[in-house]
Amino acid sequence: MELKEKSIYYPPGGILIWIIIYLELITFGMAIIALAYYGSEERDLFHNNSLKLNKTIGTINTILLLTSGFFVAKGIQYFKVQHIKKTLLFFNWAIVGGFGFLVLKSIEYYEKLKVGLTMDYNSFFTFYWLLTGFHLIHVIVGLVLLIVISFSIRKKQIEASFEDIEASASFWHMCDLIWLLLFPVLYLLF
Amino acid sequence: MKQTLSSNYILLLILTVVAALVAFNVTQNIMVKTVVGLAILKFWLVAFQFMELKKAHPFWKFLIILFGIIFGLIIMIIL
Repeated sequence: MELKEKSIYYPPGGILIWIIIYLELITFGMAIIALAYYGSEERDLFHNNSLKLNKTIGTINTILLLTSGFFVAKGIQYFKVQHIKKTLLFFNWAIVGGFGFLVLKSIEYYEKLKVGLTMDYNSFFTFYWLLTGFHLIHVIVGLVLLIVISFSIRKKQIEASFEDIEASASFWHMCDLIWLLLFPVLYLLF
Repeated sequence: MKQTLSSNYILLLILTVVAALVAFNVTQNIMVKTVVGLAILKFWLVAFQFMELKKAHPFWKFLIILFGIIFGLIIMIIL
């Protein structure tokens, strides 16, 4: 497996998931750069509106995603040595972390909607809703993948190959990567 | 290997807390460079350690390093 991973055609999880990961990173990267550019054009507006964001929830969500990613990495490590019980335990904790992220994001969205900070409030909140909204969709898809592979491992279904499981884990880590770039620019830099 | 994952996780948490503290306690210019630098460092740690990119072909490692450098530099220049 080590030798296969050293091939350019077999990055961990397979070449297709890595093509998707790089495309997603480029897309989100360009959108975050656009946010930074418009923020530099309207510094006061972006600064005043960034103060309306809940930085505590943002920081806790970062920790939740990192923790969840750590559990997935541990799960993969145990799956490689066929320690199924521990694999499932770590995947389940990762899923709990993902749901924690969704709950906190829902609270944050509710707070914004309650005081009328909708997408058309101003350009800062247009970026806020679009970027965090698209990221949230990725987190939901990642959670569905984690639940499906956990179910598949539990049922000992042979259709789920190691590469499928590693690809799903890579998708989950991608949500982490995007958030690590999005969070500081949106919540901290203005 | 098990210890590597755990120590990287602890490092990631420390970097997150440091970035949050820096964001509220230093001048804008230093803050932007530090927070973006820490974000890119965390980005690479997750990619190389959690996603096991460290085991992959150098091509994939090069792409993720290049992306981090270009993204970080553009954000620092703009802000």
